[in-house]
Amino acid sequence: MGPSPNGSTSFPVKFRPIMQHALRLSHLHFTYRSWKEEVCDSLFVDLNLDLQEGGKTLLLAPFNKGKTTLAKILCGVCPKYFPGTLQGTIELFERDLSTMEPWDLLGVCSYVSQNPQEQFIATSVEEELAFPLESLGLEREEMARRITRALEHWGLEDLRTSSQQELSGGERKRVLLAVQEVIQSRLWILDEAFDDLDQRWRNQLKATIQASDKTILVLASRYLEEFTGLFDQVVLLDQKAIQNPSLDELLPRFSHLCGDDLPNPLEGQVLEMSKKQKLSCMDLEAERKRMSTLLGRSFSLHVPDFHMESGELVTLVGPNGSGKSSFSRLLCGLDDPIGGVIKLDGQPLAGKELSKKVGYLFQNPDLQIFLPTVEEELSWSLKRRKDLKSEEMRARVAECADLFGLTLSDTPSTMSYPQRKALQAAVYFLLERPFYILDELDSSLTYYSALAIIARLRKRGAGLLLITHDRQFAARVAQRSYAIEDGRMASL
Amino acid sequence: MTTSTFVAGKGWLYRFDPRAKILLMLLLCVWFFLPVHLVGLYCAVALIVFTGGLNTGFSHVWKIFRSILPMLLFMVLFMPFNVRTGRPLFSVGSVTIVTEEGLMQAARLAGRFIGISYVCTLLFATTIMNEVMLALRWYRLPYKAGLVVTLAFTYIPFIADSFSQIAESHRLREADREQGRKFLQRLKDLVPTLTSALVVALRSIPNLAMSLEMRGFGLQNRRSQYHNLGSYRHPFTHFLLSVIIPVVLWLLCKA
Repeated sequence: MGPSPNGSTSFPVKFRPIMQHALRLSHLHFTYRSWKEEVCDSLFVDLNLDLQEGGKTLLLAPFNKGKTTLAKILCGVCPKYFPGTLQGTIELFERDLSTMEPWDLLGVCSYVSQNPQEQFIATSVEEELAFPLESLGLEREEMARRITRALEHWGLEDLRTSSQQELSGGERKRVLLAVQEVIQSRLWILDEAFDDLDQRWRNQLKATIQASDKTILVLASRYLEEFTGLFDQVVLLDQKAIQNPSLDELLPRFSHLCGDDLPNPLEGQVLEMSKKQKLSCMDLEAERKRMSTLLGRSFSLHVPDFHMESGELVTLVGPNGSGKSSFSRLLCGLDDPIGGVIKLDGQPLAGKELSKKVGYLFQNPDLQIFLPTVEEELSWSLKRRKDLKSEEMRARVAECADLFGLTLSDTPSTMSYPQRKALQAAVYFLLERPFYILDELDSSLTYYSALAIIARLRKRGAGLLLITHDRQFAARVAQRSYAIEDGRMASL
Repeated sequence: MTTSTFVAGKGWLYRFDPRAKILLMLLLCVWFFLPVHLVGLYCAVALIVFTGGLNTGFSHVWKIFRSILPMLLFMVLFMPFNVRTGRPLFSVGSVTIVTEEGLMQAARLAGRFIGISYVCTLLFATTIMNEVMLALRWYRLPYKAGLVVTLAFTYIPFIADSFSQIAESHRLREADREQGRKFLQRLKDLVPTLTSALVVALRSIPNLAMSLEMRGFGLQNRRSQYHNLGSYRHPFTHFLLSVIIPVVLWLLCKA
């Protein structure tokens, strides 16, 4: 199909010719440009991939092997906004991608990012869905019909006028899936789309993929149980190219690449516990109101009884928006409850005093690391302690870097995601908090990487509260569990 | 990468036509520079803040006031020392430190600053961004220019949000046996927080551009509009009120 006279999208929504190939990548090479003008290692070398129209493909790749870069290349925004050298040919529905701009791909190819926050451009859920439809020039009635249907499908009716900063991670992901649904593009690229979603919405996404007649490419760094029987084709991105062995051969190979066959670092771990402490709260209450909308009711949290002891590994599971993060903020003293108290060994604690006892590792490590080198990052808090001499501080920093596999001279902003996550954990390890909250640590990490971080933080006998959506992972690590639903917490 | 400044509510300001609201905002901004009594200026500011508070809630008023407080303090503290004319109020030897004129000018400047900041904030707190955009287009502003204006008013709060999150993260990283931090140390600690907020903002620029283009920004075909301003009744009355309110305030407060 040739370009349209006005140069805009040349793929009418109603008329779709029957084509064999939705996507064809041939001899793709890509290398990022270094901001230091150094020679970077190539991310892809002679990468080839064919997707049949209407086919459903799962592309598995360990972390930092270029999944997200590949998705951005397919959407025409890399190397445009993320500079690098791209060679080879990419054909989308038999049209050369190099002749098209990203906006020409609206209606052809749509992308759900691993990090939902980076894709929001509007100030409410409804406007987010409307923006691409306005770009397509659709009639208002058609827009309203599609938006209403997608909001219902993804359970977002009450959040229609909410702004994105008031949504939980899972709700944000659902908004992006709803955006994808209203655009009705021919190729869907879903980058770790199952992450952040609770079981109900994972099932919904699975059903949506099963029922869809679109070409779907799912990019994942973990093989989830939801994937079984869902795809026509499963491929592996390894050694800078696509590998296409049989599934029986591919899964063990992928598992090995992710380190899943390594021994569980928690098994048989001996804790260096100096004293046993207990963190507890009773009848804890909090309220949160969405400022940007009058729809829905205000959220209230009620925790009748929660306790955690030194060395314990406790999980907290619950659906998206159920109050997991609100509880975490209370427990580490960032927010104050409207009722109830949090106690450490029977002594009530609040605010800054509580923050010094309970470490909270945010889901996004980039909000907690901010200095130019690993060494500065690790020594930032220690420098403020008057009981510590500089030699001792340096020794502790070096020992900690060694334990977490970090290089002191590295620049955090250029480190890989698992390394940044390890650095975030190392920072807290040095703070020697008796308790830690790990917010969705397993999301975007291999099981082994997540377990290794847990084992290191727990080494000195800290009590850990792990927030997760992944039942497999929760079952693997938890000694005790709590569940939270609609703001009500209960012990499992 | 955007943060909404809209505060949901049902007051009369929410039913006021956005086109008229923009006119009212501009006229009130001009009004603050007209020669009015100082008492009149503060009465007008108090009236606007009270009206805004009735619509958006007084917690929102306090939030706005708190966000402009550092700048306000800076102006009020340094302005009197820059004015040398007028009756001296405080002198050291032959050097006049503060004059009556200096104090009056500082008070007038503070009143104007609070008034203008609050009026502008009120527009975005009581109007959804898409309707601000439609109103700007009604004033013949090109689509791209309107988008830039509305993006700026959502991107700046996003940076402010990032700053708060990073500041929270710093608080969580305080050492258990940390020595009491002095004022200078606190100021010094602001540097990495500001740097991180800047890095977050800079990193988000390619993502914002990417997301806009992936949503079809750049297509040459005519955009349609999901929202319209047809639901606002009596726009003529609203425009009339937008002119009458500043005029009446002027007649009541003129010097």
